[in-house]
Order: sequence, then C-alpha cells, then structure tokens
Amino acid sequence: MADAAETTLRRAAERVLDNLAELEPELVSAGIFKDRRPVAVTSGSDGWPDAAIEVLEAVEAGSGGEAVDSAHIAASGGEVFVVRDSGLELVAVTGRFVLASLTGYDMRMALRDAARAESSPSAENGEPASA
Amino acid sequence: MLKPHRVVLDKVSSYTDEAAAFMRRRRHHRREFVRIRFRTGAEADLPLGGPEADRIADAARRLIEFG
Repeated sequence: MADAAETTLRRAAERVLDNLAELEPELVSAGIFKDRRPVAVTSGSDGWPDAAIEVLEAVEAGSGGEAVDSAHIAASGGEVFVVRDSGLELVAVTGRFVLASLTGYDMRMALRDAARAESSPSAENGEPASA
Repeated sequence: MLKPHRVVLDKVSSYTDEAAAFMRRRRHHRREFVRIRFRTGAEADLPLGGPEADRIADAARRLIEFG
C-alpha cells in the first residue's frame, strides 16, 4: 500500500516537474523531496540529490529554529530556490535574474499539485478529486 | 546660448553619470545573498560571512555546479 502511494507521488512529482520546466524557461534542474528523501529529480547528475539535501539542511540550520516557508539564494553562477508546502520540499536551480516571486509561486503550485495527487490518486492527471 | 565647451562638458558628464549608474546596477545585480522566508511571513537576509549564510551559500554553489 505504501509502495502504491510512493509510486503515485513519484509519478505526480515527475509530472509537476515537467510542467514547471515548461513554465520556467530559466529552470536548470529541480527536485521534490519528502522527509529529506528525493521523490523525483530532473537532474541526471548522481550527486544532485545529496547536494540539494545539503541545501535543505543548511537552510534549516540557518533558520534559527523558526519554521521555514521558502529560501532564495543568489550566487554568481545561478540561483537556488527552496519552497516547502504540503509536507513536501522543492529545490530548484535557475539561471541568474529570474523573477523570484513568480518562480516561488510556480514552485508552490507544483508542490500543491503533487500533494493533491498523493492524497487523491484520481487527481493525478490534474482532475479534481470530486470529478 | 551655452558656450560650446559647456555643451561638451554637459555631454561628457551625462555619459559618466550613465556609466556610473550602469556600474551601480551591475554591482547590485551581481550581489550574492541568502534570503529565508518564514511561515510567520517574516523574511531574513542572512549576513554573508556568517557561518549560517556561508554554509547555505556553499551548499547552493555546489548544487549549481551539478547543474
């Protein structure tokens, strides 16, 4: 049963990451995490999930114990966004100078979409649970 | 009517103003930062050079390198 739920979440996460890549032309790579474990990752690099988890843990440590909603880190080579919603975390790497508010909004909607699919598998294809 | 050398001076100073503004904008855009938003709605820019911000920035740079 847990495997089925994990498969549903993974499929939904892969779908929302595809959608996110279409919405964000500057998106380089992204991954969805649950309980600090990767659910779906767009990067083909083996080290990417661990590096993303390190970002999540560093943000957690830097929050001073306060509940984190999101984080935005700008570096010379690109930008990293972290958004938490619905028990999931999305980490995204983008090019420089993207519109932070739009990127954050799209990431949040992606997480809610994935979480909705997890709680109601019939909504996995974007259909409302009541349909 | 302005003397010719005044016209040249005005031109030159307007170009230098433009160049200075361009450099300021570029410096601002290249600035690195670590910004955390909390559930309460509060937002914090962690000071770069501090241990927390440096750890986050280092982790982010590694992630960016992976692509």
